[in-house]
Amino acid sequence: MEMIGFLILFPLVIAGLLVIFRQDKVRNVIVWVASLVIMGASIAMVAMNIGTTGTYYMFDSAVIDWASIAISVIVGAVVIFYSVKYRRKWVLALAAIQLVGTLVFEFGFAHDIVCLRGLYVDSLSLIMTLIIGLVGSGICIYSIGYMEDFQAEHKHEADRRPRFFALMFIFLAAMYAIIFCNNMIWLYAGWEITTVCSFLLIGYTRTEEAIANAFRQIIMNMVGGIAFLAALFYMALQFNTVDFLDFIVIGTLAPALVVFPLTCLSLAGMTKAAQMPFHTWLLGAMVAPTPTSALLHSSTMVKAGVFMLIKCGPIYAVSFGPSIFVILVGGLTFLFCSFLAISQVNAKRVLAYSTIANLGLITACAGVGTAEAIWAAIFLVIFHAIAKSLLFLCVGTAEHHIGSRNIEDMDSLFERMPRLARLMMLGIMIMFIAPFGMLIAKWATLVTLIGTRQIALILMLAFGSAATFMFWAKWLGKLAGIAGEPDNVEITVHKSEWFADAVMVVLAVLACALIPVISNYLVEPYVASVLGMSIQPIRDENLYLSTIIVLFMVVMMFGVLRKKTKAKKASVYLSGVSVDNESRVFLNSLSQPQEATVRNWYMDDWFGEAKLTPIGTIICYILILIAFVWAVVSTAGLTILL
Amino acid sequence: METLISILITLGASVIFAIVGTVAGCLLSGLDRIISARMQGRVGPPLLQPLYDVRKLIAKDNVAVNGTIGTYVVCALVFTFIAGGIFFSGGNFLLCVFVITLAELMFVMAAYASRSPFSEAGAHRETLQIMAYEPMVLLLAVGLFMATGSFDLSVLPFLDQPILFSLWGIFLGMLYILTIKLRKSPFDLSYSHHAHQELVKGVTTEMSGKTLAQIEVMHWCENILYMGWVVMFFIWGNPISIAIAIVAFILIYLFEIWIDNNFARVKWQLVLKSTWIITLVLGGINITVLAFL
Repeated sequence: MEMIGFLILFPLVIAGLLVIFRQDKVRNVIVWVASLVIMGASIAMVAMNIGTTGTYYMFDSAVIDWASIAISVIVGAVVIFYSVKYRRKWVLALAAIQLVGTLVFEFGFAHDIVCLRGLYVDSLSLIMTLIIGLVGSGICIYSIGYMEDFQAEHKHEADRRPRFFALMFIFLAAMYAIIFCNNMIWLYAGWEITTVCSFLLIGYTRTEEAIANAFRQIIMNMVGGIAFLAALFYMALQFNTVDFLDFIVIGTLAPALVVFPLTCLSLAGMTKAAQMPFHTWLLGAMVAPTPTSALLHSSTMVKAGVFMLIKCGPIYAVSFGPSIFVILVGGLTFLFCSFLAISQVNAKRVLAYSTIANLGLITACAGVGTAEAIWAAIFLVIFHAIAKSLLFLCVGTAEHHIGSRNIEDMDSLFERMPRLARLMMLGIMIMFIAPFGMLIAKWATLVTLIGTRQIALILMLAFGSAATFMFWAKWLGKLAGIAGEPDNVEITVHKSEWFADAVMVVLAVLACALIPVISNYLVEPYVASVLGMSIQPIRDENLYLSTIIVLFMVVMMFGVLRKKTKAKKASVYLSGVSVDNESRVFLNSLSQPQEATVRNWYMDDWFGEAKLTPIGTIICYILILIAFVWAVVSTAGLTILL
Repeated sequence: METLISILITLGASVIFAIVGTVAGCLLSGLDRIISARMQGRVGPPLLQPLYDVRKLIAKDNVAVNGTIGTYVVCALVFTFIAGGIFFSGGNFLLCVFVITLAELMFVMAAYASRSPFSEAGAHRETLQIMAYEPMVLLLAVGLFMATGSFDLSVLPFLDQPILFSLWGIFLGMLYILTIKLRKSPFDLSYSHHAHQELVKGVTTEMSGKTLAQIEVMHWCENILYMGWVVMFFIWGNPISIAIAIVAFILIYLFEIWIDNNFARVKWQLVLKSTWIITLVLGGINITVLAFL
């Protein structure tokens, strides 16, 4: 239990230190040391509790209760301050509702409710600990170098880096609070901190666009926050408890009783996990410096959303309305966002759409809620976190060195930044091609969906996966191109950035190679602890066969691919009218030299945002509406019956 | 221990497939050329002409635009062998699909790596083709699971009836995409045997000598593997099924040659639209019926 306290409080202390010590050198040292300590502590935490089926600590603290109230007030005050400053009356209204609602709840309803089991550790928390501790603090280290370049590019602006780093560490602390707190009021406090931290991080540059996108984020997530609060009200009034475990037990035994709070929590989880129609906030979050995107996409924020949904998985498995709601929204989000990613040329937007799509798949799996589905959802979370952070970090570094985040400009990155390009290629492969991690998880998903006869979802998975192949393969192809020998521009990449990349790559390869081990010691204990049984959807021999192929690919990519060959060098074919083969210049029909350029296919007429976004958004709005009507009607019907 | 043995069996089967698949694929390709020629009123080359072609390619000088293309092609070839090994040793069908998709990806990467305008155009089209047929292949895996209770192909020879009876829609859908998979006109957008409708040589524009020979061998093995995917619909626990499967093999392949010789290459829009509609209608109806009836 001391470790839990350490993991939550230590980043907070560091955040405080970072605000006080504002010199670059001191800050760099603090961030390096603190990140390494958090990594070490997270690994130690996992080592001490490996294989656990859930330990609940008798822990109740008035201090933390008061701290939660204080956090709610501070969060509300911050949002109100900014909404007044930038004159956003909707945000102001939402913040006021939330603040008043929270205070009424804390003092009027929850004050007498005692939650004895305040903290807990189970295997899902351990997996999340590793993700937050290793990936999250890896990103903090990466930020050291990245933000130095970033500041150099924005010389004329105020140096807000101390606040930036402090927010990153507060974010980690809040995430630890979310995964270890069984008292839902404490959990809610952590939940709100992540909302407001990402609000501040997205608005970091204070450009008009950044501020607009930050407010979009806060509106959507406050809707989710209010839904969370509504669930708390219902729990306190109906069941007189704020114990998360109690809620799950009540839910699995009598799903009809929890339809309303479950729908509310689903909505809260979906807003955080950026499911359609709330996906626009995550796209808007791209204006922030890249480490922010990496943090939001991989280890924090959106993962808090799916963590909540996975936790509720056992309830979905036995409930009807909320389960269908979550499955359909998740499935549609996966399908539409995979299509939309095809039409994007901006690397960060492709990553964003792919994140949303994968979160959709995780959401859908959580909504199915069977043992195999939760197994699949957890592996999707693991691989997505690692691969996506690797990709964001690579794109961030590439952006600083080639001056663009446009995929078309990454032509021949393989020659210009040989090491970085191959890291990026590995990240992309993990995301979309078997037998790397994500596809193994998708395989398990398919097994689950067949077992539960989810035909609609199977079709969405089939078409969405095909689209996934298209948009990743064409990006991968761009990177692989080799023409001539341009200068290597990666010599100036910061050490901290390489270190973070190395952490991600090691994690990625280990995770891909050790799926059976992770399954045995971390995933299956969790599934067994909540559902009483656990099945590994894929047999060991197939997983080890995959491992062999993964290792073969890694060796090929990093060992063989850039070796010089003995082959005689030839020029590319330019219809016999070439002027300069190295730069692909040929003589056109007017006898003028012209460069042969090839752009990837973006198929805007088929998969453009203008065409698909409105359809997906409207369908998902309707689904949410139906879900809430269903929740209210069924709850009211139940009240009358009783 | 069992795990280890079964992995070794799969790897062994891959080696055997590398030999048997190559030989069978070579003969099939030779027959294909003779029959095509007869359809066009020509005599055609000798049966072993494909072998002579490949032998000649191997003897050529080692010339390349850059070194990575060869590496990608070797990977593609190895993965094709493994996919065949998994399939014909009765392994997991989904794993077979995944590994052959990896091989396809390596093939696409090889085309991209040259940065040649023509082979990049081929790479784009190849990617599009993969996107077009992938849903149907996944539905085949789903259907197989629903019909037999697992992705394992080893159960096929013990079934009471061929999976064709329950997977009729998926079978027809597979026949449709088989034309793309076998790289037959009208769906040979990326890499065609018909010189008159090809943009230089699509994906393989910058490949020569040994590398091109490897592509050719890969293509032979792929053909055998994909024919296996459709012929498996006719296998069940009765010795006569072997004879039926052989007849089905011959008829289906003749049908593909006939299509190849009678249709001109179509635009990519039609490929994508028609395959997806067919997948959605035939595949969708088929698995819905399986799930709920």
